[in-house]
Amino acid sequence: MRFTNSCQTEGFDGMVQYCTSCLYPDTKPDLSFDDNGVCSACAAYAAREDVDWDARRGEFLDIVAQYRSADGSNYDCIVPVSGGKDSTYQVIRLLEVGMNPLCVTATTDALSDIGRRNIENIKHLGVDYVEMTTNPVVRRQINHLALSQIGDISWPEHVAIFTIPIRIAVQHGIQLIVWGENPQNEYGGPASASGGNTLTRRWLEEFGGLLGLRVSDLPEVADIEKRHLIQYTYPEDTDLARVGVTGIFLGYYFPWDGWTNALIAQAHGFETAPQFVEGSLANYENLDNHQTGIHDYFKFLKFGFGRATDIANNHIRRGRLSRADAVQMVHAHDGKFPWTCLGKPLDEVLSDIGMTIDAFNRICDQFTNKRLFVVDNRGKPVRDANGNLTLADSGYGSES
Amino acid sequence: MSRVAIIDYGLCNLDSILRAVEVCGGTPSLARTPDELAGCERIILPGVGSFARAMENLRVAGFADALPNIVEKNGIPLLGICLGMQLLAQTGSEGGESDGLGLLHGQVQRLVPTRGERVPHIGWNDVTLPAPSPLFDGIEPETDFYFVHSYRLESPAEEILATVDYCGTTVAAAGRGHVMAVQFHPEKSQDDGFRLLGNFLAY
Amino acid sequence: MLKHRVMPTLLFKEVGLVKGVGYDSWRRVGPAMQTVKVYNMRQVDELIFLDIAATPSGARPDFHQIDELADECFMPMTVGGGVSSVEDIRELLWVGADKVAINTAALEDKDLISKGAEQFGNQCITVSIDFCRHGDGSAEVMTHCGRQQTGLDPVSWAREAEARGAGEILLGSVERDGTMQGYDVEMIRTVSDAVGIPVIASGGAGTFAHMAEALERGGADAVAAASMFHFTELTPKDAKRYLAEHGLQVRL
Repeated sequence: MRFTNSCQTEGFDGMVQYCTSCLYPDTKPDLSFDDNGVCSACAAYAAREDVDWDARRGEFLDIVAQYRSADGSNYDCIVPVSGGKDSTYQVIRLLEVGMNPLCVTATTDALSDIGRRNIENIKHLGVDYVEMTTNPVVRRQINHLALSQIGDISWPEHVAIFTIPIRIAVQHGIQLIVWGENPQNEYGGPASASGGNTLTRRWLEEFGGLLGLRVSDLPEVADIEKRHLIQYTYPEDTDLARVGVTGIFLGYYFPWDGWTNALIAQAHGFETAPQFVEGSLANYENLDNHQTGIHDYFKFLKFGFGRATDIANNHIRRGRLSRADAVQMVHAHDGKFPWTCLGKPLDEVLSDIGMTIDAFNRICDQFTNKRLFVVDNRGKPVRDANGNLTLADSGYGSES
Repeated sequence: MSRVAIIDYGLCNLDSILRAVEVCGGTPSLARTPDELAGCERIILPGVGSFARAMENLRVAGFADALPNIVEKNGIPLLGICLGMQLLAQTGSEGGESDGLGLLHGQVQRLVPTRGERVPHIGWNDVTLPAPSPLFDGIEPETDFYFVHSYRLESPAEEILATVDYCGTTVAAAGRGHVMAVQFHPEKSQDDGFRLLGNFLAY
Repeated sequence: MLKHRVMPTLLFKEVGLVKGVGYDSWRRVGPAMQTVKVYNMRQVDELIFLDIAATPSGARPDFHQIDELADECFMPMTVGGGVSSVEDIRELLWVGADKVAINTAALEDKDLISKGAEQFGNQCITVSIDFCRHGDGSAEVMTHCGRQQTGLDPVSWAREAEARGAGEILLGSVERDGTMQGYDVEMIRTVSDAVGIPVIASGGAGTFAHMAEALERGGADAVAAASMFHFTELTPKDAKRYLAEHGLQVRL
C-alpha cells in the first residue's frame, strides 16, 4: 500500500452518531434515527407498549391449532434450537401449549462442553431431537475462507441454522417452523420486516446476514465441492410450496427478553457460564461455540460496537441499566481482543481452522474500519498493551 | 524469483502491477531513474495517460535515452502495458506527433470505428493468436482481457503476437524478440492476465 | 467481440456502504472492505465505487480508503464521488482507480472534463449523469447526489460531455434507483444513440431480464447494479449466464 503525500481525509470528522437512548451507533446496518436521535431499535421496543399481547397470544394459539397434527402421526412443528437460552425457552413455551415439536439443531462450528450439556437438557424436557452436523472438515475450510474473505468466521453457521431446519421441515412434511426472535424487531430494521412474522426466501436473502457471500461462490473460489454443500442449500421453492412450509417468530407473539428467557430456561435446567463470556455482558448466552468470540470481535472492528453493546442496550430499554452505567460497562468489555473464547485460547481455535495468529492479525487489520478507531500516522490501528483497539469517538454522544 | 523493475515515471498507479508481479512469483521494485534498473532481470513499462505527456516524463527522467540502450544491449526482457506498449513505438500521434522509444516498429494511431464501434475501447474483449508465442503460452484462443484505450499501435505483421477484432483488426499484443507489449491490462485481467505475466517472467 | 460488462456498484457514505431508493432513504449495508473482497473473489468484470457523501459535504475523495480497497481489487475499478479537480483525478488514479467518475463537478467546471482527458486520456474520464423524469415525461439532469436540478437535458449534456473529452457515460435514473423495477430503457436508448462513447446503464436493475433489456433495447454497453446484488441471492455471474443464454456477449 502506498500513501500519497498530499491526501487528506476531509468531510467525515470521525464523529459517529449514537442513539440518545441506547448505545447503538449509526454504523449499524439497517438502523435509522428519528428527530430526537432515538434509533429504530429503541422505537421498535417502545412500540411494544401499544401491542395487545393478549390478542397476539390468541393469534399464536390459533396458529398452532391450525398446524397441529390432526392425528399425532407427524410433529406439530419444527423448532430450530441451539441449546441456548432462547431455544430452551421456545421449547418450554411450545410444550406448555401442548405442541409436539421436532427439535432441530445445526451443530455449531466448535461446540463447547457446556453447549453440549444444554443440548442434552433440551432433550430431557421431553422432545424428539435431530442434530445435523455438517462435515467438520469442510466446515473448517469454510470458516477459514469466510474469515479471510468477509471477516465473518461464523458465516457457514448462519447459513446452516436457516437452511437445515427448513430442509428437515420439507423432508418430514412439517409445515410450521417456530423461530425465536425476529432480529429486526429488537435490533431495528426496515419497517416492512419489523411488522412481519413469517420467513420467506426473500427475507432470508435480504436479512439473513449473508454478507454478500453466497453458497454458490464456494465451489468456484475454494476446493469445496458442491456435493459437500448439501446442507447449506435452501430447498427449492417448489418443495417449500408443496409441503407448505411457513415460519413464525415467537418474539412477535410474546414480549421477548433474552434475560428473562434465560431465567425461565435456568429454572428448567439450562446451565450458565461461571463468568461473563469474553467481550460480552452476559454469562447466559453464546455459550455453545468457541468461534463466536472471533465473530463478535469482527463486528466490533467493522462497526465499532460488539456484543456487550447489544446486551447493554437490551437492559437500557427495559430500565434495568442506566445509559451512564451501560457506557462504563461497555467501555470495559466491548470489543476486547479475543485472547480466549469461552476459555479456549485463541491460537487453538485458529489452529482448528488452519490459521496462524499472524494471519489472523492481518485479517483483523484489513477489516478494521479505520475511520472508527485511533490510528497511527501510517493509518494502522493502534493497539494497547492488551492488544485492544481504541474507538476514535467513545463518548457515545453527549450523555456519557 | 525474477527481479522485475517497474518503471515509475509519475503517471499512474503501480500497485496493481506490483502485486500482480508478486502473485506471479516475481520480486518487483520501482525504478524512477535508469540507474535503478541496474541488476534487474525484467522490465515493465506501464502507462496510463497521453503519449506526449508520457514521453515528456520519460525524457525528463532519462529513460527515453537510456531504456532502448539497456534493453537492446543487455537483452533484458521488457513488457510494455497499455500506454507503455504505445510508447515503445516509433511515433505516436496523441497530443501531437512525437517520437516514441522506437523499440517496436509501427505508429500509434487513434482507433477509428469500422462498424460503429464506440471509442474508447473499454471492457473485456477476446484476442486472436496468429501463431503460438511464449507470451501466450497456455492461454486459450479467444480469451478475454481487459482493454481501456483510445489509441493503438499499428505493428508490422511479423511483430504481431495477438489481435482483437475492434475498429478493424487491432493489435492486442506485439513483440520483437525479448521486447514485448500488450495493449490490454494483464494485471486487471485476473487469471489469464496473471498467466501472461507469469509467461513474461519465465521468458 | 467486446463483452458487455456487468458492474456491481458500491455506494459509500461516511463509514460504510449504503443503498438507497431514489438516491434517498439510505440503508447501511455493511463495510466496504468485505464487499470489495467478495466481488474480487468472484472476479467480476469491473467495480464502480462512489462516495455519495463527499460532494454534498464539500469533501474530497478519501484517498486512503480507495488505496486500501484497490489493494484488494485485482479487477478494474471506476471511482467517483467528490471529484472536483484535476488533482483529485490524479490522486485517485495514483491510488488505484482505473477510471474516475465525475458528476457534479463536470457541470460546475466544464473544463474539468477536457483537462482530465488531456492529462490522463479520455478513457480515464467517466462522466456520471443522473437524471430524473418529470410528470410530463421530460427528463432533467440532477446533481449533488440527485438533489439539485440543473434545467439540462441529459441527452444534450451527454453529447457535450463527449465533445469535451469524456471517455464513457454512466447514466443513472434517480427515481428508479433502488426500486429494482427496471432501468429507464428509453433514456438509455436515446443517450446511447446520441454519443459514440460507451454508455453504462444504472438505476433500477432488479432482474436479469432488466439487464438484458437495457443492453438490447436500450443499446447500453454495460449494466450497473447495486440493490440487486446486495439484497438478493443473485450474483453477477448468474446475471452473465442469463445474458449469455439470451444471446448477449459476456465474459464467463
